[in-house]
Amino acid sequence: MLTINSLSKCLGEFSLTDISLSVGDEEYFIVLGPTGAGKTILLETIAGIYSPDSGRIFLDGRDITDVPAWERNIGMVYQDYMLFPHLTVEANIGFGLKSRRADPAFIREKVQESADLLNIGHLLHRYPGTLSGGEQQRAAIARALVMEPEALLLDEPLSALDVKTRENLRAELARIHEATGTTIIHITHNFEEVFDLADRVAIMRGGEVVQVGTPEEIFRRPDSDFVAGFVGMENLFRGEGSPDGTVAVGDLRIRVGRGISGPVSVAIRPEEILLSKENLPEIGKNVFAGQVGSVRQNGGLVRVSVDTGIPFRVTLTRQGFEEVDIAPGDAIYLAFRPSAAHVYPSGSPEGI
Amino acid sequence: MSLGNVSRFQTVTVAVALLITAFIVLVLIGVVTHSPPAVLIESLLSEEIQFAVRLSIITSVISTLLCILVAMPVAYALARYSFPGKSLVNMMMDIPMALPPLVAGVGLLLFFGVSPIGKSLAAAGLTFVFTPLGIIVAQFFVNLPYMLRVARSTFQSVNPRYEHVAKTLGCTDAQAFRRVTLPMSANGLLAGAVITWSKGIGEFGAALMLAGATRMKTETLPLSLFLNMSTGKLEYAISAATILIVISIISLYVFERYSGATHVY
Repeated sequence: MLTINSLSKCLGEFSLTDISLSVGDEEYFIVLGPTGAGKTILLETIAGIYSPDSGRIFLDGRDITDVPAWERNIGMVYQDYMLFPHLTVEANIGFGLKSRRADPAFIREKVQESADLLNIGHLLHRYPGTLSGGEQQRAAIARALVMEPEALLLDEPLSALDVKTRENLRAELARIHEATGTTIIHITHNFEEVFDLADRVAIMRGGEVVQVGTPEEIFRRPDSDFVAGFVGMENLFRGEGSPDGTVAVGDLRIRVGRGISGPVSVAIRPEEILLSKENLPEIGKNVFAGQVGSVRQNGGLVRVSVDTGIPFRVTLTRQGFEEVDIAPGDAIYLAFRPSAAHVYPSGSPEGI
Repeated sequence: MSLGNVSRFQTVTVAVALLITAFIVLVLIGVVTHSPPAVLIESLLSEEIQFAVRLSIITSVISTLLCILVAMPVAYALARYSFPGKSLVNMMMDIPMALPPLVAGVGLLLFFGVSPIGKSLAAAGLTFVFTPLGIIVAQFFVNLPYMLRVARSTFQSVNPRYEHVAKTLGCTDAQAFRRVTLPMSANGLLAGAVITWSKGIGEFGAALMLAGATRMKTETLPLSLFLNMSTGKLEYAISAATILIVISIISLYVFERYSGATHVY
């Protein structure tokens, strides 16, 4: 169990402000956020590269805030691998065990084991410069794992790889986590990694953690305009909430999952909205009449804008699109369940 | 580039480049071919030139080792850490390079000759004024900035994340430096050592001031060139110059070969 209490660190242009997090044993925890959010410093502070200006870090109840990096046994893997170029893959993976003055035969055995786990057992005698990006990242992960770290920190481990390699290694990470049970904190700005890997997610912005939850919670129930915008909530409206469970947005009254008074934001994922040419009112559903604006094909998906007095964006599958058979200018009905309309109090007026 | 498409501007710039190259080559060839080969070899083997070669090599190797020893921690601190007065340190470290060597020599002479520190060193048996020891100190003082600059830019070119990873793998600061940063900097440090050594071999002004020019005592190759030129023993002066030319060319080659992305300036 890794616990971070009110951690702050200022490093010139990057900083962390009052971060509190708790990551459970064997948990796969992802930190998601835009560039400059302070994600890397957070990992480096956990690893002990930087000491915090204030706040404490606990590992299994032990305060490790003042323990130097070399005594923490927390593994670190960077986006750009950072394999030591003057050492073979074998010496790279065995580097940490050598620091511990382990027996050479033991090191060889452990290195082989770790390399096999990452499927790079045949590359041990090569130098990093001769490996592909994916192979280098596997070696970097093996180098960290061979130490059997208390926690493994991955700083955008897949970002420098091409699409195919990234998908393979993503599946590998899931398998390795399953096999070793290592607690992992993984930084990314890629949503697919979140859905494939994360038990829980923290969203960071400007050095602060703004929301923590399961991927489902973060994506369906963002609790700020920033998170809603960041996770792609394209239908995000400001309105006035009433205790009866409706929100007035312009001329529309949107039925939402819960009664909440005062100024609120309503967020509806574009793929949760249905389109129909006929008005088929269902009890309890939100149904609004509107007019089709633009229709844009995007891979297997079709994105439609609908003007109902307020602008909605709707994502359909190609099949769904062909079934409703619409063109720009058509009159249309748009429907979604109240539970699909996530509502939270409007906080600061800052950007979406 | 096709010959039919050469602008006058291009012709002029290339012509200047070729002319100046020819000038440099002629100057060097003029020195090396001045004495007949037999005379050159005879003076190269003379006791005085042999002494100068030995003294030059001994002093320059020692002063280069001292430069490396001092430059490494200073360069590392300047490359990696921020500390109060860092920009002042940065500037002061470069001053000996900007000073005319004669001025550096006067300063050293006063420091070791008349200052209390110099006097107590002399009292303890460490005499730098008009001794070979003075040559080493003069070379060290004037050439430290060269080693320092190359070492600093070499350390800066090693991503600190390599050290971060090494630390998470159980290395202390010092171990991470020794096992990761140092081997990754080997080429740059070698290049810096070679250029420092070659500057040391050629050091004249500061060494003249502090160590004087005593024949067969503080007579390094450049001092030998100077002494023999002033006393009209031209063939001895020419041999000293020839050796210095060869050393310069070899050093330059080694430096270019290993320096990679590092720059002296």
